[in-house]
Amino acid sequence: MHLPKFEYLEPGETSEVVSILGKYRGQCSIIAGGTDLLVAMKQRRQTPKYVISLAKVSELKQIREEAGMISIGPLATLEEVVASGPIQKKLPVLAQAAWEVGSPLLRTVATIGGNLCLDTRCRFYNQSEFWRGARPDCFKAGGVICHVTNKENTCYSTFSGDIAPALIALNAQIQLIGDGDERWLPLARFYTGVGRIPNLLAAGDNEVLTEIKVPLPADGTKGLYRKYRFRESIDFPLVGLAAILRVDPDDGICQEACLVFSGVGSRPVQAAEAENKLIGKRLNEDIIAAAAETAAGEVHPVKTDRVNPQFKKKIVKAMVREAFTELGGVKS
Amino acid sequence: MKRLINIVVNGEPHEVAVNPEQTLLEILREELGLTGTKKGCDQGECGACTVLVDGKPVSSCLVLAVSVNGKSIATIEGLSQNGRLHPLQEAFVQHGAIQCGFCTPGMLLAAKYLLENRPLPSEQEIKEAIAGNICRCTGYVKIIEAITAVAHSTAQ
Amino acid sequence: MSKYAVVGEGLPRIDGPEKATGQAKFTVDIKLPGMLYGKILRSPYPHARIISIDTSAAEALPGVKAVITGKDIGEVRYAFVDTPRYPADERPLAIDKVRYIGDEVAAVAAVSEAVAEEALGLIKVEYEVLPAVFTPEEAIKPTAAVIHENSLEGTSAWEEWGAAGRSHDYRAEVDIDNASARSAISFGDVEEGFRQADHIREDSFDAAATAHCALEPHAAVASYDPVNGKLDLWLSTMGIFLKRFVLSKALKMPISKVRVRHSYVGGAFGGKIDVFPYEFCAAYLSMKLGRPVKIELDREEVFTTTRQRHPISIKIKTGIKKDGTIVAQDIKLYADNGGYRGSGAIVVFLCHGFSFPVYNIPNYRYEGIAVYTNNPIRGPQRGHGAPQVRFAIDSQLDMIARELGLDPVEVMLKNVRHKGDVLPNGDKLNSCGLSDAIRGAAQGVNWTVGRSQLNKGEDCAKGSGRDGARFRRGVGMSLCSMFSGAMYYPFASAAMIKLHDDGSATLFTGSQELGQGIYTTLGQVAAEELGIGLDDIRVVAGDTEITPIDLGSFLSGGALVTGNAVKLAAADARRQLLEVAAEILEVKVEDLNYRNKQIFVKGNLDKSISYAKAIQGSVFRKNGNPIIGTGSYKGNPETDRYPSLAKAKGLFTSAYGFCAQAVEVEVDTLTGKVKVLKASTFHDCGFPLNKTIVEGQVEGCVSMGMGQALSEEIVLEKGQLFNASFLNYRLPIATDTPETKDGLVDSLEPNGPFGAKEVGEGAVAGMLAAVANAVNDAVGVRIYSTPITPDKVLSALQG
Repeated sequence: MHLPKFEYLEPGETSEVVSILGKYRGQCSIIAGGTDLLVAMKQRRQTPKYVISLAKVSELKQIREEAGMISIGPLATLEEVVASGPIQKKLPVLAQAAWEVGSPLLRTVATIGGNLCLDTRCRFYNQSEFWRGARPDCFKAGGVICHVTNKENTCYSTFSGDIAPALIALNAQIQLIGDGDERWLPLARFYTGVGRIPNLLAAGDNEVLTEIKVPLPADGTKGLYRKYRFRESIDFPLVGLAAILRVDPDDGICQEACLVFSGVGSRPVQAAEAENKLIGKRLNEDIIAAAAETAAGEVHPVKTDRVNPQFKKKIVKAMVREAFTELGGVKS
Repeated sequence: MKRLINIVVNGEPHEVAVNPEQTLLEILREELGLTGTKKGCDQGECGACTVLVDGKPVSSCLVLAVSVNGKSIATIEGLSQNGRLHPLQEAFVQHGAIQCGFCTPGMLLAAKYLLENRPLPSEQEIKEAIAGNICRCTGYVKIIEAITAVAHSTAQ
Repeated sequence: MSKYAVVGEGLPRIDGPEKATGQAKFTVDIKLPGMLYGKILRSPYPHARIISIDTSAAEALPGVKAVITGKDIGEVRYAFVDTPRYPADERPLAIDKVRYIGDEVAAVAAVSEAVAEEALGLIKVEYEVLPAVFTPEEAIKPTAAVIHENSLEGTSAWEEWGAAGRSHDYRAEVDIDNASARSAISFGDVEEGFRQADHIREDSFDAAATAHCALEPHAAVASYDPVNGKLDLWLSTMGIFLKRFVLSKALKMPISKVRVRHSYVGGAFGGKIDVFPYEFCAAYLSMKLGRPVKIELDREEVFTTTRQRHPISIKIKTGIKKDGTIVAQDIKLYADNGGYRGSGAIVVFLCHGFSFPVYNIPNYRYEGIAVYTNNPIRGPQRGHGAPQVRFAIDSQLDMIARELGLDPVEVMLKNVRHKGDVLPNGDKLNSCGLSDAIRGAAQGVNWTVGRSQLNKGEDCAKGSGRDGARFRRGVGMSLCSMFSGAMYYPFASAAMIKLHDDGSATLFTGSQELGQGIYTTLGQVAAEELGIGLDDIRVVAGDTEITPIDLGSFLSGGALVTGNAVKLAAADARRQLLEVAAEILEVKVEDLNYRNKQIFVKGNLDKSISYAKAIQGSVFRKNGNPIIGTGSYKGNPETDRYPSLAKAKGLFTSAYGFCAQAVEVEVDTLTGKVKVLKASTFHDCGFPLNKTIVEGQVEGCVSMGMGQALSEEIVLEKGQLFNASFLNYRLPIATDTPETKDGLVDSLEPNGPFGAKEVGEGAVAGMLAAVANAVNDAVGVRIYSTPITPDKVLSALQG
């Protein structure tokens, strides 16, 4: 399937990107690595009139360590994120998550910003134009019905990015620059939870993601990213989990715990109640099992891919158990 | 509207007029006649179209031709030098790592990138490095053997 | 040390360098001057009547050269099976109805693929959507929508091949309108057999539809020469002569005016045997326009419209003695062949034919029914019926053995057939290494140790980590068998060997290289027989105009049938060479010996002549004869007919390949994920003509079988395929590769060239039950359907 026709624009400055977005409001797509967008365009899920490349905006590519922070340009490729010394050393959760994305051939091109902006996915939506032609357009594709639930005006498509759970768990902030204004916000707030328009940029307004800042975790913080999928490469996560744990070295009490999931909702899902089951406790098998049970109750997957939601909940449980057993050094 | 791009392919400079909607894969196969790069899925899921852009392996079906302006591209046609097979090519032939041959060009380029960055990879690292390149014929066994053999012989 | 110089060795394949450098030209790489590009418009509905088609807007699009529909083509039908009992039911483009999502409705030729794609969007088709059926269960109900209403007239292809013209409606045998085929057979006395049994089990199994996943998408290039009335074709094919036969008949062309030319095929696995509408349309459009036309399918089209493995539901009842002797087996199965018959009539025959050589079961009854549904069409895929039916038989046998407290391996050994056995249809097993294969595979996974280390049977039933261990290991085994060629068009292979002035040779064979290494293997056979090196052989192949007929690379006849033809051709050339050498050296032929392209007089090494000189001498002494050897071999020399599909009567094949497959798996009891750690396949291929190639075939089969056991599955809902991509159809990737401990059993098949028979197809079939049995061994749960996905395992574990 060939790409539809479009105009290709290569502005050199962020401000130029913003002004093009404003000028052709609603008719643009931004391309970074293109691994998500070009498939969407081949399948005619997206047919922008203008494709704005960020390749010439050089300041968007850097990874650098600042006071108490690591700043990452959204255009850094996932391979660069994996290979970055400061990230490997200080944010291993992020390096792990980046390593798990797609396949090696995609990580050389796909960017960290692109993965944050990854469109939500659904087995009825991520299909070719021919395939979708067999039934009415779904709500996300511009129609009315959601084929998963048979309800009108809703969309349960699933967020499947690997990077967002890790960055949310690390309390990352992102910068959005728009027409004459710029703002910083916690990454978690970037996601709308609305399947049809999953993040603040998806509506195609005139903002652009320009920087990601990650505060360095407190000493003693441990973390990991785990991705449950059928194959160890290529596949999107059926469930992704970023887990963070900090235990007081003296009394063994859990000071900080964080769990953020991918693949179980239209946004990255943080399991706050499960976290509360861990914080303030000395971790053992039972405490972890209880947190796992709670986490499974906090996610509400729908059948947007091949596996059924009940199975995903079981996987959530298993992953939480595994993650905190490992992080907490708990004997099972 | 077509635009001119300048690319260096297997060491040779080319000036090519491309439409924005053309992929690097299309340009290589159709404009430059380099049909060694294969189209297996056209969606970045099989690795048959793997080429090296500035030394890094990419799925050329998901790269816009306009975006590689000024870059250097290596395809399978450039792997052998002066009529001599590259050690990886030689090993693939000797170890039976080639059957139908359709995944072979992409597989070889992915392997080349691996060995350039990790001359003595573990078996797991080899598997991970070619995990984006699907082969239905071999079950990967002899491909892994061939890459291992090259790593060991180069290391000596 | 081998007694042979060239065969048996794992020589590097002759097409290796070409493929390693990107120089090998595949069908998708063919580009001809003035070439146009075609695309196919397909039905979005599983079952609908076509009311009207308006192509005017598409025709008006600049760059579009032609738009054709079923009406333009007229009455053309063909099919993989075209017999009086099963008349062809496919058309290149639909006329009245569409019967599955993807059914071909119209075709466009344009100056570029992009324009052709755009034109498809401008064709307006009005449909009346009809009720549809999606499972055999629904399809066999008396009230079900009927998918093929009309009985079809005309002379079938197989009658032209000499099949009897007798026809009767097979549907009446089962009283099912949507039945597409039925095979039924029995021997012994099944009821009596069950009376003798000490233990009887009845189970149902379901094997999923799967995809071939050849990396090269299907493609056709057609180039019609209007001046000479000749049509050249480059095709994704596994048998150039079968394609030529079917396409020339459909195109109403004399067979000699159609030429299938050589291009490499990027994998096939059964998925490129059948003739497809896009091939007909490329040819038809080229003939209409007088320009070359190329049609290349996209990956979704390949998944959806180029056949899949049949999903089969199998009911199986087996009676067994306390000591493990099987006394009776009764199998009834339904295969869903989709909107057209495809290979439905063959698969229900092969579910018996590819399986019954494994165990000696005295009392046996088998009934296989293929049914139409509004799902995609099913066709041959590596093993063609065997993986599904072996999954059922060996899963059940494993359960029975455990219930009787017997080791499944011992039960298998007790029941397998042996060399010298004569099968109920009359086929004789002149070689059979099954017992050795079982012992080898068992050792490969450390069977006895592996089993004794593990929590056995009921000990761990339902116990997700009762002993606290999250990861648990188990071993399992299954067996399979496969033909080595059969009587199918063109019923024989022939070969020709031309010798050259420098003592080298060219082999002409109609076989087609699709990855299986046939050019190299046949080259080795020719070289061995001629007494020259593989380097001295050039192989000209895959061209219907230049090469003699060939059976094609399906039914696993390449090594045995074509191999024999090549061996005979080489022997013929060598005979001529020795005769002329004898004349020149003035000795008798019996006094000559040959080595390294040199002919010697026995006992007098000084008296010799080079091949080159002898060949040149032949030209002068034999009235210009440069020495051309010919040879031919039938699909099965012991019979003139193909077997009856309906009754499974007649001889099937002249040799069976066998294998035993064992695996060790690790089950994650928390997530249900199963990983194959070790795979050990012992294949009895008679004799490996090229050890490396044979190993590669086995490794490829094991990987495919492992994928189909664990994760591969065509996911359909209401006839719509949800995972038509490599992202969502989860075939194995490099990280899934298990440790392999394979072996070969040299049973030296007397009918095979140098003792060779089948390899390359059988070893998919045992993987399904081997994995299922290993999962059961590990965690005590039995999965009755493939693929054995984590959700099924976890549900079974947690009850």
